[in-house]
Amino acid sequence: MGSRASITVLRSREELERLWRDARYRPEQIDHARARVRFVEAPGDRGTEIHVELEPGVSGGVLGEAVRKLRGTEPLAKAKDGLHRFKQQVETGVIARSDGAPEGQQLRRQLRQRPAQPLEHDELQRAGA
Amino acid sequence: MPVRPRPVDATLHGMTDYAAGATLLTLFPRLANLEGTESARQIRIAGAIHAGYSTMTDYPLGVVKLIPFKVHLALDAVGALALAATPFVTGQWKQGTRHWLPHAALCVFELAALAMTDPSGEGDFHGDIEAIRDANREDPHRKIYDGAPAVTPAVAA
Amino acid sequence: MRANVWSGRNTVQVENVPDPQILNERDAIVRITATAICGSDLHLYDGYIPTVKRGDILGHEFMGEVVETGKGVSNLKTGDRVVVPFPIACGDCWACRHELYSVCENSNPNYGIAEKFFGHSTAGMFGYAHITGGYAGGQAEYARVPYADVGPLKIEDDLTDEQVLFLSDIFPTGYFGADLCDIRGGEVIAVFGAGPVGQFAIASAVMMGAERVIAIDQYDYRLQMAVNRARATDVINFSEEPDIVEQLKELTAGRGPDAVIDAVGMEAAHGHGALHALDRAKQATRAESDRPHALRDAILACRPGGIVSVIGVYGGLMDKFPSGAFMNKGLQLRAGQCHVHKYLKPLYEHVKQGHIDPSFVVTHRLELDKAPDAYEIFKHKKDDCVKVVLTP
Repeated sequence: MGSRASITVLRSREELERLWRDARYRPEQIDHARARVRFVEAPGDRGTEIHVELEPGVSGGVLGEAVRKLRGTEPLAKAKDGLHRFKQQVETGVIARSDGAPEGQQLRRQLRQRPAQPLEHDELQRAGA
Repeated sequence: MPVRPRPVDATLHGMTDYAAGATLLTLFPRLANLEGTESARQIRIAGAIHAGYSTMTDYPLGVVKLIPFKVHLALDAVGALALAATPFVTGQWKQGTRHWLPHAALCVFELAALAMTDPSGEGDFHGDIEAIRDANREDPHRKIYDGAPAVTPAVAA
Repeated sequence: MRANVWSGRNTVQVENVPDPQILNERDAIVRITATAICGSDLHLYDGYIPTVKRGDILGHEFMGEVVETGKGVSNLKTGDRVVVPFPIACGDCWACRHELYSVCENSNPNYGIAEKFFGHSTAGMFGYAHITGGYAGGQAEYARVPYADVGPLKIEDDLTDEQVLFLSDIFPTGYFGADLCDIRGGEVIAVFGAGPVGQFAIASAVMMGAERVIAIDQYDYRLQMAVNRARATDVINFSEEPDIVEQLKELTAGRGPDAVIDAVGMEAAHGHGALHALDRAKQATRAESDRPHALRDAILACRPGGIVSVIGVYGGLMDKFPSGAFMNKGLQLRAGQCHVHKYLKPLYEHVKQGHIDPSFVVTHRLELDKAPDAYEIFKHKKDDCVKVVLTP
């Protein structure tokens, strides 16, 4: 169960399949070589569902997975980040950035937020804003 | 003049009232190896009385707000001293340390808590009302009592 | 710039922090001319909301002048006077397209935190802990406003700041609370809580044509404001007479109000009776985060088949929810953080027409530097405080 992530984006299936292949939108957080991606029309006017299934069997077993979860490099967490950023980029044209999370959506950053106040100049550079 | 810090506000005092009352009624006699003794009964009664008048105190954790907080604090002090004095009044102190030391220890604990309690019952309020009044560019009383109605009935569909 | 930041439980401090910058092409920077302290800020102040960090700038009700825009913002230009809604909404997702702005799907970069607490993420918010994204708030000299082409409302007349500032949150929120009651004219509406949001809920119910609006609170001065300024028709002061449900029954000859608005939320004043005493004990030890007193009474008091509208903020879990009363009386329970963007233009119109003067709630107008004392006055209801406006 821990290898699937999905999201719904308010666009047609054709457009999303095209954007998914476009270098400007393609989520770099997902290891595309080891991921199976399906595009399914969502019910009604909700757009398109994107289902990502990650290849199981990355080395380390249960312990390895726990370590990766702690370090925030877990492939599933990164896949979720990638899906959210794809949705934001496609629907709104920008990545949601806050002062606590200036690089945008990153599950591994959740426990280590900076305070919710504007960034210093060098922090801005590092956040890639 | 240096002011002794009194960090225990009315709410925290209430929490310790109930915690102490409950503990004295249940765990304490067993932990102090007093089960079955006169001391155990005395301590249990003290705990029950303490919890009892706490529920009737006018402070944040009171159920029926009858007894003023300052009176409650006075009762705490009187109760603590009475508990400490009891073994000596009954003569049971002669039976051994455990027949008077718990009473005295509880008394010391209670008096220490009282020394750290803020009697004003203001809770944790730490603002400067005068500074606010001076700086306020609005008049609260006028806004509340002298203003005309600020809304028209039945204008929104 | 100067900004009011969270510095620990029951502590805020005005400090020097960096000025905000444009991070995205849809951002704008606003120089703040007026901002306010909200009742929900007190949940942050009191330490009931998880994920607050030391240094977080608070404040989500603000307005001012646009000083910079990202290149994707064409509806605003430098110099425009704007009021900024407190939920941050992208305008493009399914939720926004259906006017559900406070549950925007894209604006919260910390969606994972919110999901853990709520099952899903909701919209980002200004100045409201990292569960809503960790956006810097508006109790400051400047603020960065994301999706500036969607949120800010342009003010193009000479209404004062205090007359339009509350379009950012509390007026739409009170109005939303009344809107959820489906008022068609002639109803009896009970409003729990006569704080600023309650005042606007009362005023909105009046605007919608409710025949009787009953204000419920424990502070007499707030009930006076409800009657004198917001046109409440009846009051219940439960510090004198604790059984609110019984009093509402009497006021309605046994029927119960047609709809009840909970404008109180998670830090409800302690009720009476044995059940409430248990809550008191649990709350003191933080075993229960959300106090149920107001919502419980609202459900018990509402007439069968009626509506309970919840705009008071809740954050976690509550015990002893009267599910039996709720289900068997056939009540509708409706709730939400207000979808402010949906109400901005219509309510601005009402203000312009003179149907309501929102500035009636302001009892204190102070400089931003007075924020720490202002929070204390506001929290402890001193000096007849109802609403505090801060000017940077």
